[in-house]
Amino acid sequence: MEKKIQPSDGIIVLKDLSKSFGKNVVIDDISLTVEKGKTTVIIGPSGCGKTVLIKHIIVLLRPNSGEVYFHDQRIDNLPEKELNAIRTRMGFLFQGGALFDSLTVYENIVFPVRQHHHIKNQKKLDELVKTKLAMVGMDGFQGAYPAKLSGGQKKRVALARAIALSPEVILYDEPTTGLDPIRSDVINELIIKLQKELGITSIVVTHDMASAYKIADRIIMLHNGKMLIDGDAEQIRNHSDAVVQRFINGQAEKSDLKALRQSSADIKIEDIEQ
Amino acid sequence: MAEQQKNSMVESIGSAVLENIRHCGRFSRFQLASVLASCRTCFKPATYPLVLTQMLAIGVRSVPVVAVTGAFVGMVLAIQAYDQLAGLGIEEHLGVLINLSVVKELGPVLAAVMLAGRVGGALTAELGTMNVTEQILAVRSMGTDPIRYLVAPRFIACLLLTPFLIIYADFLGMLGGYLISVPYLGINSAAYWDFSASGVEMWDIAIGIIKGFAFGAAIAGVSCYKGFHCKEGAQGVGQACTEAFVGSFILILGIDFVLVVITKAVYATLWPLKILL
Ligand SMILES: Nc1ncnc2c1ncn2[C@@H]1O[C@H](COP(=O)(O)OP(=O)(O)OP(=O)(O)O)[C@@H](O)[C@H]1O
Ligand SMILES: [Mg+2]
Repeated sequence: MEKKIQPSDGIIVLKDLSKSFGKNVVIDDISLTVEKGKTTVIIGPSGCGKTVLIKHIIVLLRPNSGEVYFHDQRIDNLPEKELNAIRTRMGFLFQGGALFDSLTVYENIVFPVRQHHHIKNQKKLDELVKTKLAMVGMDGFQGAYPAKLSGGQKKRVALARAIALSPEVILYDEPTTGLDPIRSDVINELIIKLQKELGITSIVVTHDMASAYKIADRIIMLHNGKMLIDGDAEQIRNHSDAVVQRFINGQAEKSDLKALRQSSADIKIEDIEQ
Repeated sequence: MAEQQKNSMVESIGSAVLENIRHCGRFSRFQLASVLASCRTCFKPATYPLVLTQMLAIGVRSVPVVAVTGAFVGMVLAIQAYDQLAGLGIEEHLGVLINLSVVKELGPVLAAVMLAGRVGGALTAELGTMNVTEQILAVRSMGTDPIRYLVAPRFIACLLLTPFLIIYADFLGMLGGYLISVPYLGINSAAYWDFSASGVEMWDIAIGIIKGFAFGAAIAGVSCYKGFHCKEGAQGVGQACTEAFVGSFILILGIDFVLVVITKAVYATLWPLKILL
């Protein structure tokens, strides 16, 4: 690193962030600046701490050490009360959707709006919900309960809820996982549209490389708690590191396949039974 | 070697103690936050619908079980006590015994235990599932305090409605006792009620209702806390429910004991005044 990161370097700045659960070190001294209006994609193997990392940005998790800045203001040490005002300026799409299952789709989307604004005009509210749902192709499902929706539909409703307050920053945790290729592309276009038209800053965690290449201004790969690479789509594609190449091309390593190869000698249940 | 073993033993005891202290701290902070959030909710008419929804689930839907509990307590008391009193030839005092026990002790405590099972179990399971599926985290991520949105309405509903449910239990207990004593055991109705009226004072009923507030707070406090801090998975939720029931049951018994001691002392100080009146 040539020079130290300054809190004012971007809309979101992570400085020397570390997080461990017990002895399990998940984030190991990561520094990252996110520029306003850009889309940053985070990739990395399953379980490498992508979700943990973006939860720190909205301070749903607090770091063991290091700092988080939003608009040049340190937020990782703020009390919950002050954080609430900041959180309304960010949207968070949970990996599992996290829809309220006792509320309908309509009530789910209205929830953040009602919590922070006094809207008397019921018609305007209906319109808002309709618009947000239409953006993710879910208009018409207002009265449904989340339990009745498919996995991909839940994801899309959750996305509509995350953008309900028209936040400046949106954190997407695997927005296209579980969607068919066409729906995935619609979500990609949505992310691009939000960026182009409203100048929204997006941070997207994904395993979907096609989507990553399409939407990213910048791609970051996490590996063993560290940032392995950081660059634009072209740089990633032409990266020389073998780990990176295997990851983006989806090729398993010999050691990953060892277990499979051994079990081709296959253990039969009947053999164990005796 | 022995030194090392001793060290590890001290260490494990120490860490267990620390863990417990941390637990107590978390529990107290959670309760304080719940009470503060509940007070604030009382002054915000916009949140009343949430409270009413909880009142329906917690209070109205509990009426049948609480009524049944009360009725059986009264009936069993009548049958159990009759022989002893009849042996002494004072079976007409049966009313005092039944009604006093029901109103002061058995009604409130058994109704509260019933509620700890019915209401507490449901609260813990619901909040626990929300916790495990990250719904509580989602509330936080949208800038809302989950204690204010989720706990306060449940806390208020429990606090306000447990006393009413206890009045129901008392009423049904008296009715059950009467039905067994008078029509079945053949005690004179006028004598039954006369002795009851002279033996049971307003003060006794009031004690039962005061207990109700404390029991309601205990049930809501323990159950919501357990739901919010339950471990991952279906097993975590199940374990939280068990712990919530056992915890609130023990707390109910403890509170009952403390309140009995206190109210006795208060009564003893105020008693001379009553004679003057
Ligand atoms: N609340 C928690 N308590 C303890 N450990 C946790 C917790 N949350 C995450 N972890 C651990 O942190 C590591 C990273 O988890 P994380 O959910 O961030 O992975 P991920 O990169 O999002 O993976 P995936 O792509 O599968 O979603 C895992 O090893 C997990 O066990
Ligand atoms: Mg994840």
